Amino acid sequence: MENKAATEQEVAREAADWWTRLRETAPSAETLARWESWMARDERHARAFDQLNALGEWLCVASTSQRQELLDEFAPRVTWARRRPYALAVAATLVLAMLGWWGARFVGGRGMPAQHYASAVGQDRDIRLPDGTDIALGADSSLTARYGRGRRRIDLAAGEAYFTVVHDRSRPFVVDAGSLRIEDLGTAFNVRRTGQRVSVAVTQGRVRVSSSTAADGQLELEAGQRAEYDPRSGMVRVSHLAAQRATAWRHHQLEFVDEPLSMVIANVNRYSRHPVQLADPQLGQLMFTGTVNTTNIDGWIGALPHVFPLQVSRFADHVVLSSAAH
Amino acid sequence: MEDPDHRAPADAAAQPGHAEQVAALYREHHGVLVAFLQCRLNSRADAQEIAQEVYVKLLAMSGMEHIDSPRAFLFRMATNLSVDYLRKRAVRSNQPHEPQDEDWQATPLPEQHAWAMQQWKRVQIALRELPAKTSRAFVLHVVEGRDFATVAREMKLSERMVRYHVSHALAHCWERCFAPEVS
Repeated sequence: MENKAATEQEVAREAADWWTRLRETAPSAETLARWESWMARDERHARAFDQLNALGEWLCVASTSQRQELLDEFAPRVTWARRRPYALAVAATLVLAMLGWWGARFVGGRGMPAQHYASAVGQDRDIRLPDGTDIALGADSSLTARYGRGRRRIDLAAGEAYFTVVHDRSRPFVVDAGSLRIEDLGTAFNVRRTGQRVSVAVTQGRVRVSSSTAADGQLELEAGQRAEYDPRSGMVRVSHLAAQRATAWRHHQLEFVDEPLSMVIANVNRYSRHPVQLADPQLGQLMFTGTVNTTNIDGWIGALPHVFPLQVSRFADHVVLSSAAH
Repeated sequence: MEDPDHRAPADAAAQPGHAEQVAALYREHHGVLVAFLQCRLNSRADAQEIAQEVYVKLLAMSGMEHIDSPRAFLFRMATNLSVDYLRKRAVRSNQPHEPQDEDWQATPLPEQHAWAMQQWKRVQIALRELPAKTSRAFVLHVVEGRDFATVAREMKLSERMVRYHVSHALAHCWERCFAPEVS
């Protein structure tokens, strides 16, 4: 049994070797002749080669977003790795910077007092700030606006918000969300914060994103790009996200691309009359890609057992997802 | 009506037996020719189309006496046509592509995706099991469609090493997606 498996693997390795050679710009006549006789020698050869062809074709006809997902994970354009030895130093720098800022505020500042905004479960909310900046606040979200003379600062404590900023170079507009800081460079952008996980997507113009846990600096995002901070890895990942997908939540669509189910549930719960709970923390690790219509959360929950090994139990005021019984 | 430029393949002034010779070549090599083209083009349908084009061109020739190895000639033609085809496709994909943004709106129900998602997960898992360089080379070449030379430049590796990584990753994905379960 084991022998047979080993030879199957060998066949696959040979087939893969031929497959890559045949994709050179101009494989030699000799290579092609040897390949052709290899194909004829054993039917398993031809079968394995056809399967590789099918795999290659299937990777190429997949949707743009799925292919982008693979590119983002395995061939990312920009990543920051958390470097632990530096983390403390950076934190210290940050504390100093903040002290400096507070100091300046107390000495010269006479800005607007801090304003707190929050929205209820299932209720989006529109906010207009004194400078004309618009914030669309997602359901069950909260933020604090502090407008100083030299700087406009937003602290997103939880949830999601879409900012359409009136740009003012002399008075930067900065959003802090967990470990990420987003600075407006003439912009509309969306920020979603789920616990310490933060996602920033730009729909117009550009923003500058920096991370308090990454030692080396900052990056600029432009319209159509998204940066995601994953607290488990301490990495910021940059990917593409079409503008209308980033703000799809404003039209009752929550969009997720390869996110842990626990994060998806946390966001769905911002819109759910009956909170969804995960009975088994392992379920939270399952990765989900797809769209949840917030006007039909029940329908989405009903479809989950088709995709994931879980079962749904509905109670009067909440829903429990647990591992499917075998 | 005499048409001086009349070179329709069927009754071209070809050597007698030319069409038969082409037909024999077709029978003998058609399967591998399509496999070869599919490997280069990532599309079975396109591969069949180009294979067809190869035969039409062969039939239109006056004869193959001057050709040492008709088989090698067949593959050389297929290689050239596939290179042209890829170039055209690259130009097309560089043009702005509106419908891409639309496809999320037509997202089917999750259950219709279940199988495809499972296979997709298998590839993802397979790639995660590999060294970063190996999966990177694979994704750049197969998913993004860059040729070996471009990947080599980007990764600062030799083309031979890039081919090695791609082939290694491919075999590993095959194992996760197709290998018979041994129990």
